[in-house]
Amino acid sequence: MKKEIATFKINDRPYEVIVTSDMTLYELLRNLHLTGTKRSCGVGECGSCTVLVDGNPTLACSTLAIAVRDKEILTIEGLSRGAQLHPLQQAFVDGGAIQCGFCTPGMILMAKALLDENPTPTREEVKEGLGGNLCRCTGYVKIIDAVMASVEKMRRGDS
Amino acid sequence: MKLFDYLEPGTIGEATQLLYDCGEKPRILAGGIHLIPRMRKGEIEAEYVIDIQKIPGLDRIVTEGKGGVTFGAMARLRSIESSRIIQSKYPVLYEAIHQITSVQTKYMGTAVGNLCVGTPASDVATSLFALGARLKITGTRGERIEPIEKFYADYHLTSLKRGEMVTGVVLPDSPPGMGTAFLNLVRTHADIAKISVAVAIVVEDGICRDVRVAIGAAAPTVFRAAKAESLLNGEMITSQAVNKAAETASAETRPITDLRSTAEYRREMAKVLVKRALEKALARAGCRG
Repeated sequence: MKKEIATFKINDRPYEVIVTSDMTLYELLRNLHLTGTKRSCGVGECGSCTVLVDGNPTLACSTLAIAVRDKEILTIEGLSRGAQLHPLQQAFVDGGAIQCGFCTPGMILMAKALLDENPTPTREEVKEGLGGNLCRCTGYVKIIDAVMASVEKMRRGDS
Repeated sequence: MKLFDYLEPGTIGEATQLLYDCGEKPRILAGGIHLIPRMRKGEIEAEYVIDIQKIPGLDRIVTEGKGGVTFGAMARLRSIESSRIIQSKYPVLYEAIHQITSVQTKYMGTAVGNLCVGTPASDVATSLFALGARLKITGTRGERIEPIEKFYADYHLTSLKRGEMVTGVVLPDSPPGMGTAFLNLVRTHADIAKISVAVAIVVEDGICRDVRVAIGAAAPTVFRAAKAESLLNGEMITSQAVNKAAETASAETRPITDLRSTAEYRREMAKVLVKRALEKALARAGCRG
């Protein structure tokens, strides 16, 4: 196929979209006005466009949209429950782990995938887990602090 | 990116038939981390993209009867890295994958996809050369299994013929007494290697056998330093023997100068890394050297 009507499941909502073969997942999301997903390098090196596909961290700029039809796609817009932020989001806000904010959606979704797999990581494991996400403001210390703070909070069951 | 025909075969047979029928410009999509960015930049043009992600069973990592392990073309780097069997039997492969910094790349990318790019700077290929891996290649006329050394014809050139694809990697059993090591040098950890080295060595009563010294990013393809290997095979291990092997391996490289390193530096570092890798592998094989 070069063009078809496909169904996508994004943040628990179905979308019926005309897609062309050359459309990336990133382009699909932006076309649907899900602008939380950011593209920075566009060639799979910076992690900004990370979304979760069936729970797996996926670079939206390097993924064909058509290849992920019928899969569960989670973007940053799907993480909060209404006005209630996800503990990771709250920890980023509380800890000032956001400067320009461009890497933040990718950082948070990558961190979520990491915590889904390992809910009690060490600081070193968090660093390794975020190894594919670049922050050009170089706010790494606060970002890692925020992930560790959310781990602690979730462990205590505060959220 | 130009529009292309997106095809989704359900079996290996359908995939190889499509590869054959699509003639000149079919491209296989596995993880997509190499293909999609390059198609977007216009460096790769494809008229047909054959997505093999939904072919059942291709992602499996299986222990074979004789003690070896086979993994399929869709086994993602992350699954191989997380596999207990791989970690315990083939630590050199685990190490080569573990040092890749981007976790997303490992969730998406496959080991076989990495091999098929054909780059001499593949850390995964370097570790598989050291393990004596063989590749399962399936075509419209059947299957062949060939040593990984035979797969690499030249820089970015593999032995794949029309209608053929790599469907899996076969790892021989790792015998008791085998020690391995992987080492590389990088500008930053997110970059590809300036040079990488992987070795495997079996020590029995102080005598080495089955020595494999693989070097990446120092010739048009990953290669095994055959002369260095033959210096060690059947010999008692001494520090002089290790030094001599490292010097010989360095002389077997054919490096280039590029933005990552000069040829001279790569040649010098080949010596250093082979020496260190041999020492590490020997220590792991239970030999004090």
